[in-house]
Amino acid sequence: MIRFLAQRTAQAAVVLLLVSVIVFVLLHQLPGGPARAILGPRATPQAVEHFDHQQGYDLSLPLQYVHYLGRLLTGDLGESYKLNQTVTALLADRLPKTLVLTGLSIALAAVLAVPLGVLQAVRRGGIADHLLTGVAFLAYATPVFFLGLVLILVFSQRLQLFPAEAPQADTVGGILSAPSALVLPVVTLALGIVAAFSRYTRSAVLDNLSEDYVRTARAKGQSNARIMARHVLRNALIPLAGLLGLYLPTLFSGALVVESMFNYPGMGLLFWNAAQGSDFPVLLGVTLLVGVATVLGSLLTDIAYAALDPRIRSVS
Amino acid sequence: MGLSGIRIRRRSGRRRRLSGRTVIPILLVALLIGGCSAGSGRVTDVGATGGTRVEGGTATMALPPAAGPNWIFPIGAPGYLASYNGALQGLLYPPLYQPVRSGGKLTMDNPRNLAEPPRYGDGDTTVTVTLKRGCTWSDGTPVTTGDVKFWFDLIKDNKKEWGGYSPGLLPDNVKRFETVDDRTFRLRLVRAYNPAWFTANQLGQNIVPLPRHAWNPRNESPRKAFARLIRHAKRLSAFATDPLWKTVSGPWTIDRWSTSGQVSLVPNRHYTGPDKPHLDRVVFKPFTTADSEFNVLRSGGVDYGYIPPSVMAQAGRFKELGYRVDPWEGWAITYIVLNLNHPTAGPLLRQTYLRRALQYLIDQRSLARVVWHGTSAPTRGPVPDSLLARDPYPYDPARARRLLAAHGWRERGGALRCVRPGAGADACGRGIGAGRRLKLSLLSQSGSTETSNQMQEIKSSYDRAGIALDIRQQPLNTVLGTTVPCRRTEPLCSAWELGFFGTAGSWYFPPAPSGEQLFATGAPSNMGNWSDPRADELIKATEYSGDPAAMRRYGEYVARQVPVLWTPNPAYQVSVIRNDLRGIDQNPTLTLAPQDWYFVKDAKGRR
Repeated sequence: MIRFLAQRTAQAAVVLLLVSVIVFVLLHQLPGGPARAILGPRATPQAVEHFDHQQGYDLSLPLQYVHYLGRLLTGDLGESYKLNQTVTALLADRLPKTLVLTGLSIALAAVLAVPLGVLQAVRRGGIADHLLTGVAFLAYATPVFFLGLVLILVFSQRLQLFPAEAPQADTVGGILSAPSALVLPVVTLALGIVAAFSRYTRSAVLDNLSEDYVRTARAKGQSNARIMARHVLRNALIPLAGLLGLYLPTLFSGALVVESMFNYPGMGLLFWNAAQGSDFPVLLGVTLLVGVATVLGSLLTDIAYAALDPRIRSVS
Repeated sequence: MGLSGIRIRRRSGRRRRLSGRTVIPILLVALLIGGCSAGSGRVTDVGATGGTRVEGGTATMALPPAAGPNWIFPIGAPGYLASYNGALQGLLYPPLYQPVRSGGKLTMDNPRNLAEPPRYGDGDTTVTVTLKRGCTWSDGTPVTTGDVKFWFDLIKDNKKEWGGYSPGLLPDNVKRFETVDDRTFRLRLVRAYNPAWFTANQLGQNIVPLPRHAWNPRNESPRKAFARLIRHAKRLSAFATDPLWKTVSGPWTIDRWSTSGQVSLVPNRHYTGPDKPHLDRVVFKPFTTADSEFNVLRSGGVDYGYIPPSVMAQAGRFKELGYRVDPWEGWAITYIVLNLNHPTAGPLLRQTYLRRALQYLIDQRSLARVVWHGTSAPTRGPVPDSLLARDPYPYDPARARRLLAAHGWRERGGALRCVRPGAGADACGRGIGAGRRLKLSLLSQSGSTETSNQMQEIKSSYDRAGIALDIRQQPLNTVLGTTVPCRRTEPLCSAWELGFFGTAGSWYFPPAPSGEQLFATGAPSNMGNWSDPRADELIKATEYSGDPAAMRRYGEYVARQVPVLWTPNPAYQVSVIRNDLRGIDQNPTLTLAPQDWYFVKDAKGRR
């Protein structure tokens, strides 16, 4: 197990390094460079030159990257050109907000999707299965921005049940203290995940229901509930655990849309605005963080697989 | 019993329950969605006029999309000169002189000014300014010339760090700052200036008294003091708590300033100016996107917001909800920049007749009415309309065709080609070869339906005249980063031929709309590399001579030369304001004055 972990961690480090190189190079291919974008159309050539010198943009690209890497190793992600804050402070400010949003969405999705998936599998071919399959496909096919818009129109503007704006507090405690404001963004983000997870659960439960060990357990006289809980569900949830890790980038992109729609200043939006404003340090910081999260998610998935399924461990 | 048995049993059970438990929620949802909407959604029953003023209350204003105020120090660092930063700073630290709209014109004679009108002497080489009597800081200390000198010393010794610095202008054009007494100072200038220009563009908006007693109590050198103040100005999370920012001279003081950009201001109880606030609090709310602002506005979450021009058709709906719709017109012009130094398109764009023909083909009236839904206004040239009697090149496709034909362009298969090359008066022009097709490309900002539609309409108009126009759209910052002044040999100069970055106006004038930053040879914002000795001469006259007609002469000349292609000028924003929130004057220079805002109630006391 330790060797397996060491191997995967080394692979993750290489992937992250490559991600940082690719992003760094791509960012510097943007026409015009950041100086004009940051300083605006009134900037004098002297001001542009001064800015480029201050930021080290007058150095060669490899040298700029080496400097960046050096700072990175000391935990210095640089300073935003536009937001008057360090990238570390920005990430510390925005990450918890996105984590609250995505965490609640995943929790809601898991709570809804697993029972729904099991129900569909158990009643395969029945009305409930067909109905829920239709709803799942509809939810899966509905773009997040459209779903959010419909929810706002119905529940905020027409019925005035929930605010059209996510909580605006600066702290996680403050955000959680406004649960009604969280309803629409969380539901918007969760519905697509519910659809995907319920389909996976249904498929996994059906696969397991036809396994020999289920027949054996049944032959031994175990109750259906016990077979479902102890044998089928435990095995069926293994791919779902993997799915969670691989879903991180998707959640991030989904959060971007939800954050922008519900005026929720989280990570997704930080990235979007930085991309629009050529704020290189923020772009690099966020990309790196998402890279770490993705690699970590994938790593955790592998570990979870290995821990839950001895066959994978032995192959590794 | 197998699992299939469970399924069958449960299914039959569910059939029985469908008529009971399931129907009720379905009915409830149907009722809710169908017609049981909670209330009318009106934010106020007061009309757009009338009502009785009430003191107090909180007004919430929506900031532009992705705009989070993040700079409090009145000396803006490069990159922090956004209009919303300046507008908020002006509420805490007002400048000596502020422009105000009066009778359709901008004037510097503003009752809010901290100083009496400036007096010019010695052949307009000195200017003497006297501060108004009784102005104090919020801690009771009088505002003195020492506070103005503190500002001057800071920018003089740190001009490279000041985002507003432009070589040759302040502080370079001041030879000496002389303190006459506690309320009077004199600036000795490096040469004679046009007093109107100097007051508007140099004294106005730039000079801000800073509380020397609070910000530099140990009399540190300007460089040291500046570095320390910048360190404080970089602590966004401490803006509301840092004692440094508590000493203000304006009508407002900070209550809350969140790192995401939400700012809450409360009245400065010790404010000595004539415009004391009526509200208890004013909140400036940042929005991630225009869509999120629109959603919140429709739900009544802001009192003073905006809508995209594309939803002007819904203006009636907002009026029903208790809002008034009022486009905020800026002191600006909007134009397509022409890159005269482009290696291949440059020879075309350097032909005056060709630029005029391109201008004749822009149907500003239709664009303003149809594309911008009436939220933009046709313009007469690349200067404010007040400087021009009429548009010298109004929409006239026939005239454009005649002009091109007269200079050797013939249409073949729907495309114009040069048939008379050369530099003669009836030829295509220097650098344009025989058979050359009249083809251009435009780099335009993305993200706006109106801008995209406007560019498509211009392309269509050009196409009908035989001119091919390729349009590329990129985010605003990419366009700004690309359409920069350049030399012909620089690779970036080949990256664009025509550029547009004017969805919210291309250029906001300083109070005196002179062209030293825009059309003078080598000017920082002369993106198209326009260079004309006569224009330079006329621009200098607006800066240096006291002739009141200089500005008009400059305006008329550049309009005739078409250094850029002017298009309708869009509103800075289409504002939507609660009917019961009054006193809002949407200043074209984009400053704010929430101290004038107040709520009203109707005869029954309702808001």
